[in-house]
Amino acid sequence: MRLTELDPKFRSEVLNHEEAQGLNACFACGTCTAGCPIHEIFPEYDPRKLAKMVKLGMREEVLSSPTIWYCSTCHNCEQRCPQDVKFFDILNVLKNMAAKEGYAPHSWIEQTKQIMKNGIIFSITEELKAKRRALSLPDLKCDGERARKIIKLTGVDKIKDQGKA
Amino acid sequence: MRRYALFLGCTTPTQVLQYELSSRWICKQVGIELVDIEDFICCGINQNNISLEAGLLLASMNLALAEKRGLDILTLCAACTGHLSEAVEKLKDPKTRDYVNSKLKTVDLKYEGKVRVKHISRVLYEDIGIDRLKEKVKISLSKLRVAPHYGCHYLKPSSAFKGFDDPDNPKTLHHLISVTGAHPVEYETINLCCGGKSFPVSEDIPKFLVKSKLDNLKLKEIDFLVVQCQTCYLMYRDQQKVLNRKFHRKYNMPVLLYPQLLGAAMGGDLKDDLGIHLNGISVADFAKKSGVDLK
Repeated sequence: MRLTELDPKFRSEVLNHEEAQGLNACFACGTCTAGCPIHEIFPEYDPRKLAKMVKLGMREEVLSSPTIWYCSTCHNCEQRCPQDVKFFDILNVLKNMAAKEGYAPHSWIEQTKQIMKNGIIFSITEELKAKRRALSLPDLKCDGERARKIIKLTGVDKIKDQGKA
Repeated sequence: MRRYALFLGCTTPTQVLQYELSSRWICKQVGIELVDIEDFICCGINQNNISLEAGLLLASMNLALAEKRGLDILTLCAACTGHLSEAVEKLKDPKTRDYVNSKLKTVDLKYEGKVRVKHISRVLYEDIGIDRLKEKVKISLSKLRVAPHYGCHYLKPSSAFKGFDDPDNPKTLHHLISVTGAHPVEYETINLCCGGKSFPVSEDIPKFLVKSKLDNLKLKEIDFLVVQCQTCYLMYRDQQKVLNRKFHRKYNMPVLLYPQLLGAAMGGDLKDDLGIHLNGISVADFAKKSGVDLK
């Protein structure tokens, strides 16, 4: 990689998000990576490496990387960090930025659509209604009106699917 | 009688109905009144992926709906517990709360910061207590050896669960299992994540995480894996089938939701009250294994 391909503003762009403030305290000890169950399966997902890449300004590589979406949100990285860096929050900031550029996986976009329609991430089918009644469970409301209004305020409904940007 | 707003989340009321069924039954037995709030929506945790703002606003909306009725929230899903609890912490900051309320105005809601969020296991442990639960147990399930699985968001991020259990060495579910007479078994991968939150993006992640856990449990002669979150339940139930099919393995670890285990010890009807058959476990087999007499 050439120096000219780096984006020196990327680091401050990330740090503009309040949730990512901890990044400056990271000294790349790798405790996050050592405790990450995803890294153990897919070594290419590497929290320490991602933090380094942000600091170096590797904007395109970070935001377009499919691995940033692998996290299972177990919180081990932030629980164990000796510098109290909330890598989990930094990762969310990176994913939010990537989503705006059209890199969000289809499943997360689809869930937003479902919430706007039903209020929850699944459809409430006739079959489900019957199953619930058979167990004497109360009917579920199937209304996403409030959720729709709230989500529209954030602009998330405008985010495009991966590959469709 | 204690009253809570029951927060079902997305997956339990649509895919794991036996968790809802057995939880409602347990609460009735121990004197917890559950109030259904039909306006509750998704907690917002997965929205964090594409917008932290959307994630927080959805959580705040649910908190505001509970607050409007003067109720605290009882959750079933570990992830809802973690996400809503984190939102409670964030909304303690007046600046954040003002910002959120400026948005909630659109849907005629306001949140003042009065709601507490507790997972059903925590409610049983703290509000009811081990001693009172023991008094309700009619059948000792002492024949059973079970592996507890806590679920990451039951205790993490720990900043949102101050003073409750220890995420590195959790014990509350062990105690809750012991109440039933069943033996909670120690094992090395107890804190390993189920991978459920990666599932929508990569099905390989839960597959390998489930494999690690089950390989560890194979050596321990376990009757059941006991979970307290429907997503963990689905991962362990389904991924063993995938592993068997794709890699010719022979995993066969039945998975129970904690209220089902407690309910069996309290004398609940295995089918009608606890929905054991919905776990793909035969009621007769369960009764035989656990020493419960079928009525």
